[in-house]
Amino acid sequence: VIRYALTRLGLLVVGLVVASALIFVSLRVLPGDVAQLVGGTQASPDQVAALRESLGLNVPLWQQYLAWIGGLLCGDLGTSLLTGTPVVTELLAKAQVTLPLAAMSLVVALVVGIPFGVLSALGRRRAGGTALNVGAQALAAVPVVWAGMMLVVVFAVGLGWLPPQGFPRAGWNDPGAAFRALILPAVTIGVVEGAMLLRFVRSATLQALGQDYVRTAAAKGLTRTRALLRHGLPNVGLSIITVLGLQIAGIIVGAVVVEQLFTLPGVGRMLVADVAARDLPKVQGELLALTGFVLVVGFVVDLLHRVIDPRQREAS
Amino acid sequence: MLRRTALATSALLIGALLLTSCTASSSGPAPSGEADPDARLTVRLSLEPSNLDIRHTSGAALEQALIDNVYQGLVTRDGDQDNEIVPALATEWTVSPDGLSYTFTLRQGVTFHDGSALTADDVVTSLQTAKDDATIQNSADLANVASISSPDASTVVLTLAKPNIDFLFALTGRAGLIFKNGDTTAFQTAENGTGPFRVQTWNTGQSLTLARYDGYWGDKAGVAQVVLDYIPDQSAATNAAVSGDVDVALEIDPELQSQIEGTGNFTIESGLTTDKGILAFNNQRAPLADQRVREALRLAVDHNALAETLITAQPLNGPIPPLDPGYEDLTGSVSYNPDRARELLAEAGADNLSLTLTIPNVYPGTLATFLVSSYADVGVKLQVKQVDFSTWLTDVYTNHDYDLSFVRHVEARDFGNWADPTYYFGFDNTEVQNLYAQSLATTDAQQSSDLLAEAARIVDDQDAADWLFLSAPRAAVGTHVSNFPKNSLNVRLPLADVTVSSE
Repeated sequence: VIRYALTRLGLLVVGLVVASALIFVSLRVLPGDVAQLVGGTQASPDQVAALRESLGLNVPLWQQYLAWIGGLLCGDLGTSLLTGTPVVTELLAKAQVTLPLAAMSLVVALVVGIPFGVLSALGRRRAGGTALNVGAQALAAVPVVWAGMMLVVVFAVGLGWLPPQGFPRAGWNDPGAAFRALILPAVTIGVVEGAMLLRFVRSATLQALGQDYVRTAAAKGLTRTRALLRHGLPNVGLSIITVLGLQIAGIIVGAVVVEQLFTLPGVGRMLVADVAARDLPKVQGELLALTGFVLVVGFVVDLLHRVIDPRQREAS
Repeated sequence: MLRRTALATSALLIGALLLTSCTASSSGPAPSGEADPDARLTVRLSLEPSNLDIRHTSGAALEQALIDNVYQGLVTRDGDQDNEIVPALATEWTVSPDGLSYTFTLRQGVTFHDGSALTADDVVTSLQTAKDDATIQNSADLANVASISSPDASTVVLTLAKPNIDFLFALTGRAGLIFKNGDTTAFQTAENGTGPFRVQTWNTGQSLTLARYDGYWGDKAGVAQVVLDYIPDQSAATNAAVSGDVDVALEIDPELQSQIEGTGNFTIESGLTTDKGILAFNNQRAPLADQRVREALRLAVDHNALAETLITAQPLNGPIPPLDPGYEDLTGSVSYNPDRARELLAEAGADNLSLTLTIPNVYPGTLATFLVSSYADVGVKLQVKQVDFSTWLTDVYTNHDYDLSFVRHVEARDFGNWADPTYYFGFDNTEVQNLYAQSLATTDAQQSSDLLAEAARIVDDQDAADWLFLSAPRAAVGTHVSNFPKNSLNVRLPLADVTVSSE
């Protein structure tokens, strides 16, 4: 297991290096620059040139890249050109919104996906199971934006139970309000992701139902449902972990959209604003942090697989 | 149980559809009570500044939030009184008869937010730095200043190289703001001004909170705290108003206005602006270098219909808006006439014309769609190139690489752009340049205004651009809020006099 973990860790590092180069280059291809935006429509070309110099944009690209990588090795993601704040500080502040949002979305997705997925598989020949499956198909196809707007219309504007937008200025110092502010956004992401999960769980469960070991267990006197729960689900669980790893990336993408929709001051909204402001050192730091997060999740999922699955454990 | 879930789900969906089709019931205006000095005023704005460094960073969002509230100059302007110049850090001023020498009497008892007193030295160095340092915004406004001096502790004298009737107005802008000499504040995220409010906290991506400055020299601010809530999304902003999260919402979506009105807690106000929607023609490049083509394009657009489509707009028929000197109603100089447009295009030999419109993606698609169909009607194919603002600055503003371009020019008194052939409009007319120079050089306001009007008529006559509309944004102001300013709120939002009544 340790050798496997080390190999995977090596791959993770390679992945990060490749990602850093891709991020750096693709951002430099973007038209427009921050000096132009800071100078605005009153600045003469000379003024913009002076700004560009003072912001360090005239340094050769390879030097900029090496300086960035050098900083990264010391745990420094860079500094915002516009506010002078370290990217790490900004990320930590915004992560206080985005991480809880992602975690809550994941919970919603799991609550929607797993029990209903299994139920839908068990009841596949009955109306209820079919209805669940069709409902999930429909939900999985719903754009996150539309789902969010509908939820706002019903639960915030209509019933007034939850805030329609925004995050308390006191942040988590006002935990009740902060939690309430994240419920609708989390449900928005969670229901759509959960519907995809549901369909996956359903097909994995159906597959398990057809397996010999379930039939054997049933032959030994267990009911089909109990046979599935005892012997089938552990196998289903393994593949669900893999899918969940992929869905975390989906949740992060969803967070970018939902943070715009609900005006949440999270990583996604910051990223969009920084791209518009061409604050490239900040954007590249943020993108690398997000990429790193997704890669680490993948790494953890791979390891978990090894540890949980006795077949893979034996093989190594 | 499953069937019940399905039923509940469909009931929910039907409920959602029903709710979208009705508006909230009216509850009548809230009772107006006494002004509450401890109140907090929450204002929805759409565009957040990228940092707080008002001296170096462009953008109307910064001026809107900070000038008059946090930072002040010697003089300022009153948007609700025809942009009249009014005293701020100077109590009074005199201008010499030749228009060259401006003598300001400094206000006594002014302190910066760090507690230190304002001195004549602070004023002199602030203005001198703004003049000398080209990276300071609007530094060019002071280029004409020959000397800045302080004969005694309460007087500052500015001498100009040549008269400039717009000079006091320029001092109400960024270049005229007064900072403490040798201040080491980290201006990108903090401030040290003299205004009625301090910046209390800035939650990036969320809000900017101002708090009353108790050491303020004038009448203390009417509310203890102001929260500028940055909500870009229009439906989120509407919801924020409906649910009472904000006391005032600026630039509301007129399509959603009825929802806000339905609460009975807001009145909708519409003010004047100098926010001009300008469709620029690249005057330097074929085929738009040909005036017949430019005129044809103007004739092809029904400006009244466009303003009705956009709702928060009114027709603007020339380069100068009603709030600025030199304004003249030029209605009728170009009126919708597609037949004449087709004739002109044929005369110019511009059949099957295909043009590209470069437009920043912050503007609604309605506008581009309207232009595409208007031009198609006269046989001009318009391709719309939506870009982000940064790309627009590089391609259009700097490199002048465009056929047609649309942006909103929010600045007041910016007629000078038509007298500057290097500006991205590329409009080069000696007569306009002479008239503009004369209008600045005269010391007589009426004469200056007449000269500007004459120059504006030429610019309009030459079809230098198409002035599509003047923005007339709507604000939803809570019925418990008093003295909220009305005009030009996208560049100035003075909040010191605003009060909020206790319910």
